[in-house]
Amino acid sequence: MSTSTSPDPAAYERGFLLDLYRRLVLIREFEERVKFLFLEGTMPGTIHQCQGQEATATGVCAALNEDDFIASTFRGHGHALAKGLGVQEMLDELFGASTGCCKGKGGSMHMGNMDKGMIPAIAIVAGGIPLTAGMALAFKMKKTKQVAVCFFGDGAVAEGAFHEGVNMAAIWDLPALFICENNLYGASTHIDKVMKNTRVSDRAASYGFRGETIDGNDVLAVFEASQKAVAECRSGKGPVLLELLTYRRTGHSRRDPCHYQPKDEREAWIMRDPIDRFAEVLLTRSDIKRDDLDALKTSVDDELTAAIEIAQKAPQPTTADLLTDVFA
Amino acid sequence: MLHEFKMPDLATTGGEVKILQWLVQPGEAVTRGQFLLEVETDKASMEVEGTASGVFKGALVEAGQAVDAGTVIAHIESDQKAPATQKKATPQTTTPTAEAAPANPAPVPKKTGGLFARNRAAATSEAPAQPNAITEKTALGQTTFSAPGGLLKMSVARKTAARRLQQSKQTIPHFYLQTSVNAEPMMKSRTAALPHKLVWDAFFIKAVHAALKRFELMAYRFEDEQLISQGTDTIGVAADIAGDLFVVPVETPGEKSVDDISRLIRDKVSALRSGDPQARMMKPGVMSITNLGSCNVETFTAIVNPPESAILAVGKIRPVVIAVSENAFAIQHRANLTLSVDHRVVNGKYAAEFLGAIVDELENL
Repeated sequence: MSTSTSPDPAAYERGFLLDLYRRLVLIREFEERVKFLFLEGTMPGTIHQCQGQEATATGVCAALNEDDFIASTFRGHGHALAKGLGVQEMLDELFGASTGCCKGKGGSMHMGNMDKGMIPAIAIVAGGIPLTAGMALAFKMKKTKQVAVCFFGDGAVAEGAFHEGVNMAAIWDLPALFICENNLYGASTHIDKVMKNTRVSDRAASYGFRGETIDGNDVLAVFEASQKAVAECRSGKGPVLLELLTYRRTGHSRRDPCHYQPKDEREAWIMRDPIDRFAEVLLTRSDIKRDDLDALKTSVDDELTAAIEIAQKAPQPTTADLLTDVFA
Repeated sequence: MLHEFKMPDLATTGGEVKILQWLVQPGEAVTRGQFLLEVETDKASMEVEGTASGVFKGALVEAGQAVDAGTVIAHIESDQKAPATQKKATPQTTTPTAEAAPANPAPVPKKTGGLFARNRAAATSEAPAQPNAITEKTALGQTTFSAPGGLLKMSVARKTAARRLQQSKQTIPHFYLQTSVNAEPMMKSRTAALPHKLVWDAFFIKAVHAALKRFELMAYRFEDEQLISQGTDTIGVAADIAGDLFVVPVETPGEKSVDDISRLIRDKVSALRSGDPQARMMKPGVMSITNLGSCNVETFTAIVNPPESAILAVGKIRPVVIAVSENAFAIQHRANLTLSVDHRVVNGKYAAEFLGAIVDELENL
């Protein structure tokens, strides 16, 4: 983990800090609402949630331009919200509505919106890595200065697609930022059981580029590391691998009781909750007050309540939509 | 407003979800997100969070019952008003049904249609809903014969056992070896241990474990045209818990005394009876023992419990007349043993010598 202390919020504008905080809370509350919609049976399908990992998506995406692209995973709600997808288009998508970001054909595991710089998420573990290398190659060939970013978990590192995609990005110096959200578990398997060297960022050196491990529950630390990495990518120096240490507070999916996370480990990570920690930093080291934070929480709650009501009544695709927007 | 708490869609294959226990009492204040009950799905046991804050009015489905996702399983008097979008549930009439077995009405409330309907291909043939009815415990021993075409719901454990046993019986080429053992040394040992009560199965576990050490091939399984070591010395004992078949694992029996193993089996069986989800977790073993002696069965043949390659069936210990020489007889307590074996792993002679070793162990305590 990065040994430096948490960045100083005083170096940032108040509006930026509040926006970061709102985005963290929006992701947390979005996931909580979705959890209950699933438990109530109002929303179909299973879901893979990211409570506890909000700072990774928020910190990375805050360092990106609107036309930079991200590739996400089955656990992609946070990435989508952080990249700027709307609550409404996402909830509509979860309800399978034709007004959803993928017209109801993607669902929880394939959130995306090309206009907002997010290709529909790929549920195959490590599946986004070669695609990110491909996007980065396109940006480089077109000389657009855009950056392609790939989110993936620690489990993806063992996949062949990781090696292939990362190596290709390295040999061609592609503007690709690889974000490993290391939450210690590939589904239910602890990282210690599948890696001798569990410091994922070390792997970058073997491909000939820079890697760094960051406290992924410190949103400002994630932002600063991402900003630096994105600048390197844009300047043509090739890819960067950031390993963000984080922890998921829910099961792998809603059907996973998560009994494999030891109690003391869970409690230790709950003490390092990214939202609580950032609130603490803001309240003690900036002029932001508790009332400001509470107001953001209320606005998030209201936004979600209204959007859920609309999403539940949103139009479902019809049989006429069956063959539109599909390749095969 | 009365909030209908429905069983979430927690089973990975869209099957039923069994309620293991309720964690709250009627009248208790509950909050949204609080664990209200423990369930068992086709894949895991887990706690389930409630979806409303208010007063828990009571369970509509008792522990031990399995229901489909979407079934209303409890009512919560919520302190919130009904949201405008939520439709009031239409009251459903209570009609007696010929499909339910008379002694086991199982009036489990069902949600009709909706998102969960996809999980229930047979939804149309299901009994009409009876809201607010508490289901009666299904005790197989008390079930009387139902009307023709009567349906009995299977527990999750029962379904798992059914699938695995069918697969075993149909894909493993079993052969069976039968012999008998002098039970007098075991009886002496039991008497000597009093007031400690030794479980019969504990002797068989020790004997099988000792014999396995001399016949290592018995600890392999057949898979993909090769033999793979089971990599464990855990031996299982079959136990019938309220109609469900479980295998109680005894790990490292070589390091435990007969007394230790007896206590372990008793503890695990009572944990299973109490519905402890931890106790229900399966542990792969090297071999299983099944004993119907207490049911007066003298001899039977058992189905191998995959991935194991053999199972020992133990019959009733009873006094029999044996010839001690050409013209003299004696009375001795003996038990019949039947070893079921996967022929892909070992041949008859090898298994016979293994069975002989078990007998040796039991007769030379």
